[in-house]
Amino acid sequence: MAETLNLSDSDRSSSSDQSVTNRSNNRSLRIAEKERRKNEAEDSLVRAVKYFSEVEVGTPVHGNDELDRNLEVVEKVAFSKGLSPEAISVLLEFAMSLRMGNGPCVRVLKCLIPASVVPQQAVVRAVVWLNVSKIPISTQVLFIKWVLTVFDLIDAKDQLRAIYGFIFSFITEENLCPYICHLLYLLTRKENVHLYRVRKLLELQSKLGRQPFLMHLLSLYKVFCPELVTLSIPSRIRSGFKNHNSPWKSVLMGVQKRNGLQVSSSISSAFTVKEKSISRKRKHCHLDLPSLSAVLNKEPQSEQTSRRKMVPLVQLSSFAQMLKNMHRIELPAQMGSLLGSSLALQYLDCVQEESALLRLNFWLGCALHEEFLFCSQTSEEALQFLNNLLSVQHFLQEGFSSSDAFLYKFLNVWDGSLLRPQILGLLSNIPVIPSTQIGRLLFEPLTQLFFTSSLFFKCGLMECLNNMLLKWLTWHSVYALEDDLDISLNSHTSINITLSGFKDSVMELVHFVGRLASLGLQLEGCNTLLLSFILDFYETACDTFLKFDLPLVVMPPPGVFYPALLATDPVSVDRLAYIMHRYKLNLTSAKSQEKQTEQAFHISRQTFLEFNHYLVFMVNCLWNCRMFHANTDLHVREELLHKSNVPQPWARFDFIHHPAFTSYAVDFHQKCWPGRKAVDLNSIKQSKPWSWYLEYLFNQGFDGLKDFVHSSITRQVTSGDERGDERGDERGDSQQR
Amino acid sequence: MEPLGESVMRTPHNGAVVQRRSKTRSYRLSYRSCLGTTSRLGPTPALTTRRLNASRRAAKPQNLTERVDPEHLALLVKSEWQLSYVTPLYQFRHTQLKSYSRQLSAFIVAERQQGLAVEVSELQSSYRVSLSVLQGLTESENDPETVLIQIHSKPLFAKQDEPQKSVWSGLLTCIHGSPEYLRSLSKDFTCLPLFGSRGPEYLSRVVKTWFQKTFDCCFGPLEINHTSLQWFVALWVDCHSQSNIQHLRMLWTVPAEPPLQIMYTVDPQDAWDLWNSVRKEEAAKGAEEVGCIELQEVSGYLEALKSHFYRHFRLDLSSGILKQVSTALGSAKDTGRIKMSNSRHVIATLTLLTECALLKMPI
Repeated sequence: MAETLNLSDSDRSSSSDQSVTNRSNNRSLRIAEKERRKNEAEDSLVRAVKYFSEVEVGTPVHGNDELDRNLEVVEKVAFSKGLSPEAISVLLEFAMSLRMGNGPCVRVLKCLIPASVVPQQAVVRAVVWLNVSKIPISTQVLFIKWVLTVFDLIDAKDQLRAIYGFIFSFITEENLCPYICHLLYLLTRKENVHLYRVRKLLELQSKLGRQPFLMHLLSLYKVFCPELVTLSIPSRIRSGFKNHNSPWKSVLMGVQKRNGLQVSSSISSAFTVKEKSISRKRKHCHLDLPSLSAVLNKEPQSEQTSRRKMVPLVQLSSFAQMLKNMHRIELPAQMGSLLGSSLALQYLDCVQEESALLRLNFWLGCALHEEFLFCSQTSEEALQFLNNLLSVQHFLQEGFSSSDAFLYKFLNVWDGSLLRPQILGLLSNIPVIPSTQIGRLLFEPLTQLFFTSSLFFKCGLMECLNNMLLKWLTWHSVYALEDDLDISLNSHTSINITLSGFKDSVMELVHFVGRLASLGLQLEGCNTLLLSFILDFYETACDTFLKFDLPLVVMPPPGVFYPALLATDPVSVDRLAYIMHRYKLNLTSAKSQEKQTEQAFHISRQTFLEFNHYLVFMVNCLWNCRMFHANTDLHVREELLHKSNVPQPWARFDFIHHPAFTSYAVDFHQKCWPGRKAVDLNSIKQSKPWSWYLEYLFNQGFDGLKDFVHSSITRQVTSGDERGDERGDERGDSQQR
Repeated sequence: MEPLGESVMRTPHNGAVVQRRSKTRSYRLSYRSCLGTTSRLGPTPALTTRRLNASRRAAKPQNLTERVDPEHLALLVKSEWQLSYVTPLYQFRHTQLKSYSRQLSAFIVAERQQGLAVEVSELQSSYRVSLSVLQGLTESENDPETVLIQIHSKPLFAKQDEPQKSVWSGLLTCIHGSPEYLRSLSKDFTCLPLFGSRGPEYLSRVVKTWFQKTFDCCFGPLEINHTSLQWFVALWVDCHSQSNIQHLRMLWTVPAEPPLQIMYTVDPQDAWDLWNSVRKEEAAKGAEEVGCIELQEVSGYLEALKSHFYRHFRLDLSSGILKQVSTALGSAKDTGRIKMSNSRHVIATLTLLTECALLKMPI
């Protein structure tokens, strides 16, 4: 398979290469003068090539002006534009057949710069000449170096692979060996790896010692046939073969650039041995990702049936290859290695086998436990490991059960600052926990951490819990449809969590955050940053029904609602208004659906009561200037209000006097009545200026307020210049007044 | 909720649907793992916390010499093992030990001579590895057979005809492993959680690496903690009536400035008498199963030893930590070193250690 794939690839690339050359050639015909000169040059090249194809054996070299002239022509063209495939064939044949001895041969080889591609036929013929004619070793080396340089430009490789054994036989030639090894490295397929070749290489190894070129070829053999050969590469060894071909390469790149071709950068860089030997350091040894390697001991029964067809993951190098072999990919020997390769991760997403996932979890759990639970540390490796794990989980959109199990333990010993972003990131990936366990596993350790940590931890935790809720809800909205979580218990037995179980867990989480948030705001003096993270959470929580199809609505506790409403920054108030607006939409649509379908679920009556309560207060406070109305949470005694000497205390938090909006009111006042010296904010309360003022506020970007006012306040502008009677409008179970 | 959508999604021929189904599976997997109800994933430790047994059978002296090859038995006892825990081995077959031996020896040679490739099938002259089943050691039907690993090699400057010597040995075992845990694993896994090694550290490292690469398992150090050491005290003293323990020696560290180490040696007869009195006391308190030692008895015994020490030296050991225990039957150190001197008590020792190793499992 890999062969055909490769073939078609190179075919395609070669044909496109040619078309590109033609086009660029056309483009380069600029001036007639140049054209003429070029034609002349081409003519002379054609003559030169003809000379080399026809020159006979034994023609003298010394004093042969014709030869010199033709060689010069060829060199000139080669170094400026490169040679056509046909010219390459002819010249290579001339050189390797040694028709005029070694001197011209070397000279010709040195100028064999292809303009587009190198015909495979020519290379194969030349390799055959290696054996037939008596070419000096240095020239042979030169030739192989040339093949390595132009390897990517050879138009096909099937015939070269067919003579793999023939090429292999040159390996015994000591001077050729490094270059032959490189060539073999580029050609080797699984079917080329045989025990006798392994033995030959080992024999050479014992003769030559540990040579990088042998090592690289053997390690490739190991990738294909781990049952035949084993090897560990010292970490010091540089990866890749030495660049044997620099003089040509630079010329080749120049020529190709001039011809407008993409320089193939893959020359001699295809090689990367990542495999590390056992690390000498005892520390952090669990944090090294294992390398991808094929399974060594296959199951005997599966051997007959499927072994031939399986493709180890390590042998796949592109996504296209993976797609083609999707049905017969063999998992690597160590599942942990999947986390290190982006290609393998794609495959991990569709791994079905439970034991494979269990292997991965054993490895991951062991690494996390050993490195973080039994000895906590903040090394660079630890950071990298966790970041890698996070990006993997992000990619899979799912956590690993071993990292969950680790976190439940780790939270109890965590100081809240060690690797905080990473741990919180992992924490936000944990799946839904049954409500009976959630307190012990999550809330207890988190509560302790929350109240003993800095403001930044509090904010970070809020963000983490928001992400957690978001993920739980997203899971629900995706899978509830598919699996019917709420169907009766007998169909899926006890494995699935039931809808009501899920609802309980979500409710527990939202209540927990409510408790944390109320106390956190008190502790931190209603810090704006913390409030912002808390409001983030409620922006998720208020939309559970409409966005995620979960028939559950939980209101924020007073400890969150009032600080947000009375906050000194307009953004918080605006966001609260938005949240209340979304709560309203969720509640009304839940109610109407309940009536329509008469389904079993319903939102608790208490939730409606709470919502109405908040809504009434908010409208009274911002709109009706009736802040200290009876039946609110805020009970301030009359005498106390009187004592404070605040004029009209009930109006202090309307849209005009609310500390968050005063500056807007003043600004509006100045714009509205630029002539007035004395600022009288109460004049905005007139009907017309009031609507303008609202319009002005909405134009400042307070979309939350806009939505809130539009949906919750019905303005009756019927009674002349008097502001209409407004009221919070809700369709809940209770009436507000 | 949408019957139409559902029927579409359950059509098996649609590729996209396969993808979604697979997601469902892993979704359930995550649910399952947190509910702890799955049979295959086993009890999640965080939810069903595994603890050290609070009660264990008194170590009945067992004459292993009839069941176990005396040569193997000699390997087990007399010298000290460094302990590790191992997660379950994937695709390990007791029938393949020969081929494993070949691979392991080739691997060792390759690791020793970094960068020199080694043919796998060749018989290595420098290292001879043998993996073998240590028969007769298993106690319950769930326990997989114990595997013994031996590495023989010639010393560096050995004479030509000098025989290879054993340079390293290892042990993979599971004695009385928790049946629920063992049964919860699928057939692909072999659980031999306790790994003991003896010999040069570099060989231990290489062997561990080979196991990791071949059976996708992980190794971690197995310390013997305070509680387990206390158990060893009780188990060994309890054997005094059958085989003389000679002495009971305990090493304590006390968090003082400078740190204080205390070697506390008790006369065997005194230790035995004290143990008996604690046993009687506890037996009088409540009827318990005959032949079992309870955790209260162990801690009661240790309390008595501590108060005895206090009476003589005015030094309270209760804030100290037990580091080492040794008797004539064996010795145990908190660093994870164990020595079993008497073959009659091998099983009891390994049972306790297997339990410790299983507690370390990440899942």
